[in-house]
Amino acid sequence: MNFPHLHLLLNHFPIIGTMVGLGLFLISLLGKNEDLRRASLIIFAAMALLAIPTFFSGTGAQGAIKKLPGVSETLIERHQGAAMLALLFMEITGALSLVGLWKSQGTPRPAHWNWTLSAVLLFSIVTVVLMTRVGTTGGDIRHPEIGTGQEEVTEGSAISKILSRLEPSPSKFAELMTASKWWWAFMMDLHFVGLVLLIGTVGILDLRVLGFAKQIPFGPLHRLVPWAMAGFGLNLVTGVLAFTGMDQYYTYDWAFWLKMLAIMLLGLNVAAFYLTGAFESAERMGPGDDAPPLAKFIAGTSLFLWFAVITLGRYIQSYSDTITVHK
Amino acid sequence: MAPPLFLQTIEETGFSTWLRESESPFAFYFILLFHTFGLALLVGANFVVDLRLLGVARAIPIAPLKRLFPIMWVGFAINAVTGILLVVAYPTKSLTNPDFYAKLAVIGLAVWVMQRLRSQVFEDASLSEADRMARGAALAKWSLFLWFGAITAGRLLAYTYKYLTFPS
Repeated sequence: MNFPHLHLLLNHFPIIGTMVGLGLFLISLLGKNEDLRRASLIIFAAMALLAIPTFFSGTGAQGAIKKLPGVSETLIERHQGAAMLALLFMEITGALSLVGLWKSQGTPRPAHWNWTLSAVLLFSIVTVVLMTRVGTTGGDIRHPEIGTGQEEVTEGSAISKILSRLEPSPSKFAELMTASKWWWAFMMDLHFVGLVLLIGTVGILDLRVLGFAKQIPFGPLHRLVPWAMAGFGLNLVTGVLAFTGMDQYYTYDWAFWLKMLAIMLLGLNVAAFYLTGAFESAERMGPGDDAPPLAKFIAGTSLFLWFAVITLGRYIQSYSDTITVHK
Repeated sequence: MAPPLFLQTIEETGFSTWLRESESPFAFYFILLFHTFGLALLVGANFVVDLRLLGVARAIPIAPLKRLFPIMWVGFAINAVTGILLVVAYPTKSLTNPDFYAKLAVIGLAVWVMQRLRSQVFEDASLSEADRMARGAALAKWSLFLWFGAITAGRLLAYTYKYLTFPS
């Protein structure tokens, strides 16, 4: 496996997955189907998570092909700018979907129409449009058989002309991130604050499921989850900004990629917790109650993986340049 | 003004040199990793107690949160030990930086607040939830503020030092 391979493997998911998610979401709204609505919100959140390593793998793919004959760096830059804008909207859609899922807890019947669902609808439509552009500009880089022409950077439909004005220039954006040492220090500071929000709240939940402080009922502790999400969101923003500032530094580093893998596994772990009935069994835990083995297993995995994320994050510095750079 | 010579003496010991220069994954970055684990335990546990005392997730009974204090102290112990080792690895870098002393002062205050929280809010088993919140709210705000300051001062150590090692 190399970076172009990884990028191709991942990049169809956020594009096609978001389209599928939007289709299901629209059907669920028309048919007032609560289960389908939840499923589409879960798809949006999953695509938002997968979009992160997809975006990161682009830098390595670029490094591998930019020196090949017939590959235009301008086209790559255009694709990268489009991806940055699409990622922003994808992550907002994912975050809103999680808010929607949080609000729909314990309501078997369709919740009343609320601002969250309107916002998910709006942002997911914009994300699909932007993702289409990411796919098109990406395909232009290395697929001459499509035949839109390599040099026609400014050509295209009216909508892509408008979008191209809104897309950031990747190189200017990177300069902006690294121009001031104080801005960088501020982002890193927030990344540690996010770590504390996340580990503090997720940690106490996991420990309670594992049998620590049994006097505390699980249900009330679960109200801390939005704070964990806030910590994750803070670290997602500061992490992506740091990556765009020094993409070469992170790309060729095993610790960084293992950290991404651990975060993806945590996504699966969260899905397992809420979708296998482990959450329902934990939610019934009053003072003194013991959790069933499945819930304990998931809580243990969560703790292990979060500490793995911290560990791998700390080793990024010392292992940079551990992946051979494609010149 | 040149840094005091004892910094050079520490830096030239075999242990300090090994911590700083070894390629082993168990040297500098290992210590730094455990310093981060300690931070997660110490500040993470404080954060949960502070949030509850400020009225977040009010259905959580306050008294059993007392169980989080040992986690805080384990985190503090890990960070005291790893912190000393980090200073041994780079004595000139840390001890010539005013931010380092600011960090120690803020941590001192934060730990004092942590102790006050324990004695004021958790020691007396007969207190009602409302009493505990009334006694703890101001301390919880200070706790959040001071731990945020401690993290910030710690992060800034990486960006504000005057010497990395003893100037030759």
